[in-house]
Amino acid sequence: MNIAVCLRAPPPGPEGDAIARGDGPALAHALDLAAGHKLTAVLGGTSMEEGPLRLALGMNVERAVRVAADDLAAADFHTIGQVLAIGLRRIGADLILTGVRSDDEGLGAAPAAIARHLGAAYVAAVEEIAIVDERHVEVVARGGGRKRRLSVKLPAVLTVATLRPMQVRPRDPTRPLPPIEVIPLGDPESTVVRRRTELLGRPEPASRGVQTVNSLAALVAALDRG
Amino acid sequence: MSMDRPAAPGHDERLDLTLMPRLAEACEASRGPFPRPFLPNLLVPIDLRDSEPTGPSLFALGEGRRVAHAAGATVYAIVMSDRDLDDGVVARLGRAGADKILLCEGTALATPPLDATHGPALLAAVERISPLLVLFPAGGAGLALGPSLAARLGAAFAGAADVEVASGEALPEGVGRVFLRRWRGERATYRRLDPVEIERPVVAILPAGVAEAPVGSAEIDVEVITCAAPKDLAVTELGNEPDPDAAVALARVLVVVDSAYGPQAVEAIAAQAPPGVAVVDAGQTAALALSAPEIVIAVGNVDLSVMGTPRGRQGAILVDDATPSARAVDVLLRSKSAAPGPALWREIAGALAALARPLPGEARA
Repeated sequence: MNIAVCLRAPPPGPEGDAIARGDGPALAHALDLAAGHKLTAVLGGTSMEEGPLRLALGMNVERAVRVAADDLAAADFHTIGQVLAIGLRRIGADLILTGVRSDDEGLGAAPAAIARHLGAAYVAAVEEIAIVDERHVEVVARGGGRKRRLSVKLPAVLTVATLRPMQVRPRDPTRPLPPIEVIPLGDPESTVVRRRTELLGRPEPASRGVQTVNSLAALVAALDRG
Repeated sequence: MSMDRPAAPGHDERLDLTLMPRLAEACEASRGPFPRPFLPNLLVPIDLRDSEPTGPSLFALGEGRRVAHAAGATVYAIVMSDRDLDDGVVARLGRAGADKILLCEGTALATPPLDATHGPALLAAVERISPLLVLFPAGGAGLALGPSLAARLGAAFAGAADVEVASGEALPEGVGRVFLRRWRGERATYRRLDPVEIERPVVAILPAGVAEAPVGSAEIDVEVITCAAPKDLAVTELGNEPDPDAAVALARVLVVVDSAYGPQAVEAIAAQAPPGVAVVDAGQTAALALSAPEIVIAVGNVDLSVMGTPRGRQGAILVDDATPSARAVDVLLRSKSAAPGPALWREIAGALAALARPLPGEARA
C-alpha cells in the first residue's frame, strides 16, 4: 500500500527545520503504519520550504516529494488541495494522512479539497488507524456523542487528531538521505492550478492586549462578558 | 406544522429578489460546480442528540436569526434523520430562530454524520435553497461535513467564526451586509470573510454559545427531501460506544488542564463544574479538535490547540513560575501563592460557578 503524509512548512521560527505542530499527529501515525508499506511525505511549496521533508526522510520516511508551487502560504484551501492532489495522484497514494488544522490559517479544509480532487473518501479527526487489507483501513472517530469504529475504503484522506510519540526508526547514518523529488506544476500532465487567494478573506489587525489579574474571580469576570 | 407542502404564501418571496446581484452574476460566471445564484439564505445544519437539538444548534439558529433581520435573509434549519421530526423539536427550532426546516430523510442518516453518508444529503439540501451562509453549530457535523461542502461549492470556509453585521455598509438595495470573522493561526490577526466581497458563499462553524431566549415562532413549515442512501458507501460503521468526552465538543466554557497535573486535577475541577463548562486534559487532542468554545481557560503550561473565535476569550492560570504559551491569551493569572494540588483545584472549580448559564432546556419558551 502507498501511504502518504501531507506536510506543510510551519511558520518561520528560530529553530530551523521543523515539523508543523498540526502535522505531528499525522506523521506519527504514518510512521507507525509504515512497516511493510511504502511511506511518502508530500509537501507543496518552494525549495525554501523543504525542511519538513528533510526531517521526514531523517525519520526513515522512504520517499519525499515536493510539488513545486510558489507562495502557497497565500493560497486558499482549494488551491492547496489541488496542488497536493496532483502530487498524490502521481505517486499513487492509497491512504493519505494529514493534520486536522494547519498552523498558519488553522482552517482544516485542505484535506477535504484533496479528497474531492482525488475522488477519495474523507474522514476528519480520526484517532486510531489500522490497515485491514490493501483496500480498507479501520479507524476510530468521534461524532454525535459517540466514539465510532469505521471501515474506510481506499483511497481515503484522513485527518489525524491524536498526538502520540513519534516512533522514529533511526536511519543508517552511512546511507545518504534520498533526494527530495520535485513534481513541477508546469508538467503538461498536471492540472492547471488556478491561484485564488481571495477566499481566505481580508486580513484585519487584532489589537488585543493581555490583561493580568490577581485572583480567580477577576479572571472569570474578565473572561465572561456575557 | 405541515409536511411536504408548498411554502406558506409570502414566506419565500424574498428568495426571488436578487438582493445581492454581484453574487448572482459571479455565480453565473463561476467555474464551480454550483450552477445557481446564491440567495440570501442562511442554513444551519442541526445536531441532534437523543432526538433533541443541541444547545449550540439552538445558539446557531439564534445567531442566524440575529443577522437575518439585518440582511433580509431566510433562516433554514437542516435536519438529517431517518425519521419524521417530533412536533416539539420543530417548535424548538422555530422558537430558536428558524424560518423553515428542511428535513433530509434517509435510512443512511440515522448515524452520526460522516461525509460519505451525510455529505450527499447536505449537498441536496444546499442545492435546493442556494445559501449565502452555512452556519454549523459547535460540536456538530461541522468538522466532518463543513470542509467537504465548501470544497464542493467552491465556497470559503471558517473553522471557528463569529457572524457579524457590518454597520454602515448596507448594499444598494438597503439590506445589511453580513460577514464572518475568524482568527488566523496563533491568534495574531483576524480574517474577515464577506460573501459579497469574495463572491462566494461561506461555510463556517460557530462557537458553542447559549440561546438565551426564544426569538422566533414555534409554527414553522417543514419541507421533506427524501435522500436515497449512496449506492457504494466508502465508509461503514463497525461499532460505536458513548464518547466519554462528548461534553467537551458542546461546551461553552472549556477548562484545559496541563497533563503534568494528572487526571486527579481534571476530576477535581470537573466535579464542581457548572452546566456548560467542560474540563479536559490537554492531551485529549481528539476531543479538543471537535470543540469551539466561547471561553477557554488553560490551567498550567498548556499550548492551546483550541482556536476559539474573535468574540471568544481565552484565559490562562499559570502555576509556579511557568512561562505563558506562545499563543496569546486575553487574561492571565499568575497563581504564585498556591501550589498545584487539591486546594488549588477546588479554588478553580469554585470560581467556575460564575460562568454558569441556563441549559438550553431552561431557555425554552
